Amino acid sequence: MADRPSPDFGKTVINLAALVLVLSYALPYVYLVSTSLKPPADVQQIPPSFFPGRVSLENFATVIGTAGLPNAFVNSTVVAVLTTLLSLLIAVPAAYVSALYRRRITVIFLLFALVTRMVPAVSLGVPLFQVMKTLGLLDTTLGLVLAHTSTAVPLALLLMSAFFEGVPKELEEAARMDGCTRFGAFVHIILPLMPSGLAITALFSFIASWNEFLFALLLTSQNSKTAPIVIAEFNSVYGLAWGPMTAAAVLYSLPVILVTLLLQKQIVGGLTFGAVKG
Amino acid sequence: MNKTLYCSVAVLALMTSVARAEAITVLVEGGGHSLQQAAADAFTKETGIEVNFVEVPYQGVYDKLSAEIASGTSNYDVATIDVVWNAAFADHVEDLSDLFTDAVRADMPPALVADATVGGKMIGMPAWANAEIVFYRKDLWEDPANQAAFKEKYGYDLVPPATWQQWRDMAAFFTKDGIYGTVVIGGTSEEWMAEVLQAGSPGVILDDAGQVILDNQAHIDALENYRAPLCLDKSVPDNALEISWGEAQNLFYQGQAAMMKFWAHAYKMTPEDSQIAGKVGVAPMIAGSAGIAAIPGPWYNVIPSTSQHKDAARQFIAYLEAHNALGIEAPLGLAATNSAYQSYMGKPGYEHFGPLIETLSAPATKGRPLNKDYQELVDEAVMPAFQGALECEDNVAELLQDAAETARDILGQ
Repeated sequence: MADRPSPDFGKTVINLAALVLVLSYALPYVYLVSTSLKPPADVQQIPPSFFPGRVSLENFATVIGTAGLPNAFVNSTVVAVLTTLLSLLIAVPAAYVSALYRRRITVIFLLFALVTRMVPAVSLGVPLFQVMKTLGLLDTTLGLVLAHTSTAVPLALLLMSAFFEGVPKELEEAARMDGCTRFGAFVHIILPLMPSGLAITALFSFIASWNEFLFALLLTSQNSKTAPIVIAEFNSVYGLAWGPMTAAAVLYSLPVILVTLLLQKQIVGGLTFGAVKG
Repeated sequence: MNKTLYCSVAVLALMTSVARAEAITVLVEGGGHSLQQAAADAFTKETGIEVNFVEVPYQGVYDKLSAEIASGTSNYDVATIDVVWNAAFADHVEDLSDLFTDAVRADMPPALVADATVGGKMIGMPAWANAEIVFYRKDLWEDPANQAAFKEKYGYDLVPPATWQQWRDMAAFFTKDGIYGTVVIGGTSEEWMAEVLQAGSPGVILDDAGQVILDNQAHIDALENYRAPLCLDKSVPDNALEISWGEAQNLFYQGQAAMMKFWAHAYKMTPEDSQIAGKVGVAPMIAGSAGIAAIPGPWYNVIPSTSQHKDAARQFIAYLEAHNALGIEAPLGLAATNSAYQSYMGKPGYEHFGPLIETLSAPATKGRPLNKDYQELVDEAVMPAFQGALECEDNVAELLQDAAETARDILGQ
């Protein structure tokens, strides 16, 4: 009788394959963390070492003592949270209407909404700069939030449209027969069914704003400068401070990792949303 | 009652406008901020004019200033810009010719004054300048055994390298016991460009008339000499194309290279926990047939034409020039004027100032071409030939001829 591979063997292979896949994604981040823990003299060691020979927190101490960085972290948080909320506020109702009441005009609307994602961000930089200057919003949190929202909304619109397409139109009709207004049905019946979609859209909007560099560079200077700009300042014309830069990047990545972990259940639900739809 | 109110409002408005006129905003890269803060503080104390620095990453200076210029207005009264951007911003900044008095000119290396001149206009005042000089391991050079062995092998004394041949000899001599003699940088071309000037070229890439000279004999000789430690002597790590300034500096700091050519500020920044701390010697840049030469790395203070406070900005720039030594205590420890450097000569920890000022003031030292297409020339024409040569197989003259053709295409010559 021929030996058949046991189910455990198959599971092990799948797990190993998953581990390789995860490592290929995680390796740059692991190297970032590892570099942040190296003493300054070892950071650019030649040949480079993957793991620190000696563990040091000196880079983190440097980062914490860097003038402007704590403020920049606060600015980044405020801007990213407000951008996320504003993007959802604009995109979610718009996506619902465009998904459930599909007309030629809604298709055109969706296409036009994507325009800001179709052109290179740098080409929008100067026009945005002029608009913000005219509005007196340069170097303000509101100015940067509006700029980030202009690019986050199309993404949120697209994502939420896809989620709303899985919602039967009959749900809203039933709610209205029970006396709900259209808006009431949307808020009380439809939205509660969408925690995964909202979580994923919120997360993507948050990350887009959290990591955005170009608009923050052009539109801020002192008061609302965000962390990516301050982190980039470790790369000076007379040298790249790898150690502090990696330490700052590690600290800066923690909130996103935390938010992702908190929303893990909803994200997984969102990723599999509609997977078993007939 | 109304009259009193109107008067009060008018006085307040006047006071506000005066207060606003008493503040200027300076756009600057991080390192440049620290070099100018002390002088700015003294300036404010003396004049009452507040100076606000807006610090951005290196490339941010160019991007932000470009965006401001494109918008037709500016939040900045002064911008501190890298010399490589002088040509790009020349049409959008004030002429500072009146600040370049004879005394000011006499107190600066001529190459810095030349780099400030674009189209007959003095577009900026040098704020600080840097240049590559020779760094070597004093402990190796002063070792009697090394001195005797070197003299026996090469027939002359082991002294800090001063010529192309000495550089190659010493690099070959010290390539032993697990260390390399030196490092060939393949990631950037400035160090080779310095050798082009040392070989007697009237300029790098372009001559003063803007004509392409990338394939002249000096460019060829310099590239042959530059790659010799890599391709002939084997006295450097063989991964030259992966080595840029940062890597070269680290090889030296980690005791893996006996000497290097590097920007002078690094002398003051040798890490305390480095293997070579306290053992670093410095000398002027090496010389070719035309003598010592380097590509200076100055930064200039310019006044955007859109500035709302041009007079205050002009005062600030003049003050910085007159009190240039105030920046030397900053971590980078650089200045632009001879007098600033001379005021620190002989002080412990500033041994690099002598070689730096000698290198900056050398007759053959000259800046990169002040051309709006400079970066494209480097990226599209120079680097392919330069890095091709460092693969040690192709003919240098042919590579540079191709590069010159590409450069002429870019410039429409």
